[in-house]
Amino acid sequence: MTIKERGYAHWDGELQDGRFPWWPITRIGIRLTFKRKFFKFFFGFTLIPALVWLVGIYVSERLEDFKFMMEGETDFLNVNPLYFKTYFTNDFLLFMVVMILVFCGAGLIADDLRHNALQLYFARPLKKRDYLTGKAAVIFFFLFIVTLIPGIVFILFKLIFAGNFQFFASYPWLILSVIAYSVLITTFFAFYTLLLSSIGKNRRYVSILIFGVYIFSDIFSAIFKEIFRSHYFYLLSIKSNLQQVGAVLFDQRTPWNIPWYYSLTVIIAICLFSAYILKQRVRGVEIIK
Amino acid sequence: MSVEIQQIHFSYGKIKALNGIDIRLPQGAIGLLGPNGAGKSTLLRILLGFLVPDSGEGSVLGYDIRSQQAMIRRYVGYMPEDDCFIPGMDAVSFTSYMGELSGMPRQEAMKRSHEVLYYVGLEESRYRMLETYSAGMRQRLKLAQSIVHDPKLIFLDEPTSGLDPQGRKEILELIMDISSKKDIQVLISSHILPDIEQTCSYVVILNKGEMAAEGQISELKQVQYSLYELKIKGEEQAFLDRLASMDSQVEQTEDKLLKVYLSPGTDPQDIFKIAVEEKVQIRHFVKSQTSLEDLFAKVVGVD
Repeated sequence: MTIKERGYAHWDGELQDGRFPWWPITRIGIRLTFKRKFFKFFFGFTLIPALVWLVGIYVSERLEDFKFMMEGETDFLNVNPLYFKTYFTNDFLLFMVVMILVFCGAGLIADDLRHNALQLYFARPLKKRDYLTGKAAVIFFFLFIVTLIPGIVFILFKLIFAGNFQFFASYPWLILSVIAYSVLITTFFAFYTLLLSSIGKNRRYVSILIFGVYIFSDIFSAIFKEIFRSHYFYLLSIKSNLQQVGAVLFDQRTPWNIPWYYSLTVIIAICLFSAYILKQRVRGVEIIK
Repeated sequence: MSVEIQQIHFSYGKIKALNGIDIRLPQGAIGLLGPNGAGKSTLLRILLGFLVPDSGEGSVLGYDIRSQQAMIRRYVGYMPEDDCFIPGMDAVSFTSYMGELSGMPRQEAMKRSHEVLYYVGLEESRYRMLETYSAGMRQRLKLAQSIVHDPKLIFLDEPTSGLDPQGRKEILELIMDISSKKDIQVLISSHILPDIEQTCSYVVILNKGEMAAEGQISELKQVQYSLYELKIKGEEQAFLDRLASMDSQVEQTEDKLLKVYLSPGTDPQDIFKIAVEEKVQIRHFVKSQTSLEDLFAKVVGVD
């Protein structure tokens, strides 16, 4: 059948102003991430810490049954804010978060830059804000699954296993801490990932950056700290700053001998810097002056 | 008027890209012509709202180019020149995704994407990954995504670039079908003059950021100049200099054929008078059929 025989047909619907114009971007971003090789397996693996902590909560309510494991330890599996803080700020979880970012975040903007897709987005009634929100929401989705959701599930299961509201009455603010820390860590990593994704056109290169900046900021801060004997060098480390603020949010002693708000300032500064660069880098047309 | 702009100025730093462009485009297919750096792509980007002009006013489909860019983009389709797609997707998902971003409901966008892919001839390969598409298929895909939301106006930036003759013919057929029968206006920016001549009745020619010519192709070809082809024997240079001095433009082809573009009001008899004065024999003299290529050469200048 020739083109003329086929003919073009008009669409009789009405184009709408969606309330969330960024949602299709998020949905497709999540779908494309799940289609990546080994991602489902890897993502399942990142949920192991949450599972272990959940088992810990169950065991804490059945201590009589597990007495043989305690060997006189009185603080064994005491579910309190420290227990939550340990989950949220442990090195393994943060490392896994970074690995998730490598899978789901590296190509978010880099792929669009590489394949000139930004002009396709911005030839639509989309604002820069919608585009970035849609991309950031992909990161929020995956990171909330390993931070916010386990945190809330821990609290719920603690209440269910205990069969009373004693835990909630003792720490009524804990759920706010879980939400606040999850939002903080996710927002920070969303900015961090989008920034790095926007400065390269190659997904692999961006993946190395996401991983490398996180790891090397930690290594260098430790080296400088040892050389100069000052805890202030922990401010150079992404991980240390998040752990520092996390400790405060869960009402625990900070791990380093520096004011926590310095770490918060570093985190906010990185977010603001990222927002500025993203504003410059993400545009419908590349202008070469 | 679907597109109407007045005194548009735009600069990339110190480089002036558009210098006081005025355009009022009628309905139908319109060709946007100009050599590299003429400002065609910049003009399209301003009309789409990618760039904000330094000064000047304008509207597309009645929406202001400075303040109502979102509305313009809702009702305009854009087929970029660059090879562009989203990796990891098949053609149906991609086209449907573009429809959704334009404001179509999800189910409708999916249904419509099947229709437009069928229309552009990608029905057999609509479930293939876009990374595996050939250049010609990607060109069709770009056209499909530009019409998925049934726009009222389509901007096509070099729609036939990278296509083989058959692919080019089919894309041009599609463009003609869309523009001639479906009350959708098409603005085509292209270097390929025969494409414009085949698909458009109206043309806008830009040169060095300024308007070089605008109007119906048939009228422009008549009004702008008369073209004569001649072969001569004798002292060539002096003859050419004299022709140039009488407000005409001369182009010499490789086989020594002279194309003389005479301005309206110039008498072709003057060519013979000059030949006599310069002692040159005219061996061949034909009033040529003018093409868009000739018009283009005339208005943008021949090197």
